[in-house]
Amino acid sequence: MSHMQMTTKERVLCVLKYLFLALCVFVALFPIIWVIMSSFKTNAEILSNGVALPKTPSLTGYRNALTISPILNYFGHSIIITTVSTVLNVLFLAMAAYVFARCRFRGRDVLYFILSLAMVIPMTALLHPVYSVIQALGLYDTKTGLILVYTALNLPMSLLILRGTFLSIPRALEEAAYVDGAGFVRTFFQIMLPCAKGGLTSAAVLAFLQSWNEFTFALVLTSGQDARTLPLSLSYFTAQFSFDYPAMFAAVTIAVIPSIIVFAVFQEQVVSSLTAGSVKE
Amino acid sequence: MKIKKGWIPIFLLPAVILFLLIYAVPLVMVFVTSLFDYRLTGQGMTFIGFDNYVRLFHDPDFAKALFNTVIWIFIQCIAHVALGTFIALILYKKPKGWKFVRTAYMIPNIISNAAIGMIFLNIFNPQFGIINSVLKAVGLEHLTHNWLMDSSTAFPSVTLIWVLFAGYTTTLVLAQALSIDESVLEAAKVDGATPFQTDLFVVLPLLKKIIGTTMVMAATYMLQMFDLIYITTNGGPGKTTTNLPLLLYGVYKGENNYGYANTIGVFIVVIGVVAMTVINKALKVNDEDY
Repeated sequence: MSHMQMTTKERVLCVLKYLFLALCVFVALFPIIWVIMSSFKTNAEILSNGVALPKTPSLTGYRNALTISPILNYFGHSIIITTVSTVLNVLFLAMAAYVFARCRFRGRDVLYFILSLAMVIPMTALLHPVYSVIQALGLYDTKTGLILVYTALNLPMSLLILRGTFLSIPRALEEAAYVDGAGFVRTFFQIMLPCAKGGLTSAAVLAFLQSWNEFTFALVLTSGQDARTLPLSLSYFTAQFSFDYPAMFAAVTIAVIPSIIVFAVFQEQVVSSLTAGSVKE
Repeated sequence: MKIKKGWIPIFLLPAVILFLLIYAVPLVMVFVTSLFDYRLTGQGMTFIGFDNYVRLFHDPDFAKALFNTVIWIFIQCIAHVALGTFIALILYKKPKGWKFVRTAYMIPNIISNAAIGMIFLNIFNPQFGIINSVLKAVGLEHLTHNWLMDSSTAFPSVTLIWVLFAGYTTTLVLAQALSIDESVLEAAKVDGATPFQTDLFVVLPLLKKIIGTTMVMAATYMLQMFDLIYITTNGGPGKTTTNLPLLLYGVYKGENNYGYANTIGVFIVVIGVVAMTVINKALKVNDEDY
């Protein structure tokens, strides 16, 4: 239907549609833009008018955020914990998913079913037992403890995505490798992993976002500052900054920028992996 | 294909260990310890049968937390999913800028809840928050509130922090809608269906399964909701905005009553199973016939 033939009613609907979509974008982006904007204001500017633009952008908020609290340390902790748990998660789950997709052994389907039950367990119900396990392993208030938990939190999603990925790779590739005399491990690392790059990226992006953003277990499994992550540190800011609002907005900005960058770069991957995780099945 | 079988257990081992440590063992512990009087570590445990469950059913805080949890699950499964689906139904016709809308709408879902919580704590701030600033600017000063701390506005204010951000739902439903065969839509048009009728009677039924999935996700999300409430209201004022995870956390950290906290945990697990079964049944998500 060309635009020439649109009736008045259709034209009104079309305008309403775009107004509605604009409203959705506004609702989604305004809070974040507001915070970023406010991080460049002074305390006085924020208190006098919450929605006005900063008169001259000031970096005092960022300077204060970095000096009042060891936010760079927390940023470092988050980077270490997120990176290590993402790499381990994808590696371990790729290994398991490959075996589930390719090898025949007794109890395979039962084991796969049991592991995918992890998807439906509400983890906040298990706060205390998970703490007990981590405590018993001597990993309370350590980065290793959080790495262990975060590696596990992404288990069901990665398993689902990666098994699907391996199932979609033609068997001929591996058979050629075996004919050439490559062993099981070498075939997996040198032939299969490169072929599964799409699935690995998808799983890694989702694992990264979940680990980077995780709050509840960080709260329960740490006490001091040695393993405190960035999201957790935000909750201390109101008290810590005692009404230094630009510093607090600066800290929030520092915490959200990595997620937004990763999402912007790997957008299509996130969408396709989410879809793969829930539309198929 | 010849494979050395010896590698199979080795490749499975890390995933199985992770599953056992973080899912299976804690799940068993939560059930078992709910039957014990189990408080501070080092004080031992006494078997008390179902006493914790008896306390649970007489605990007004539990009643309030359960009520709020269930209400929030309903709101999320209906309003949040409906909003996300509605947006997807607009976007699948690929209006100008549809990809941008999808991306922008996803952003609140991919940044940390701790940050979202802090942002809304300030949006609702009585002095300089956006809401009160705007109300003052348009001369509605009498409508300003301490939104999160006033017991009459706390519940709807907290709900607003998550209910509008349906980016995941939109993305998933949209992906499914985009995969609908062009010929199906053409056929509806040839039969004289208006775009609205096509959406309602042709497209929506084809999306039933994915909508069911997003409802399950919404229910699970609300059942586990902790961080946004903890940061903004911490369940208050009083118990106005508490839910089961917050109650559990309070009993666990505040009272150090682990047995009772885990009883609440058992309840959360049970509600999760019930909610999923009900939604699956209601929408026959597992139907294979379409």
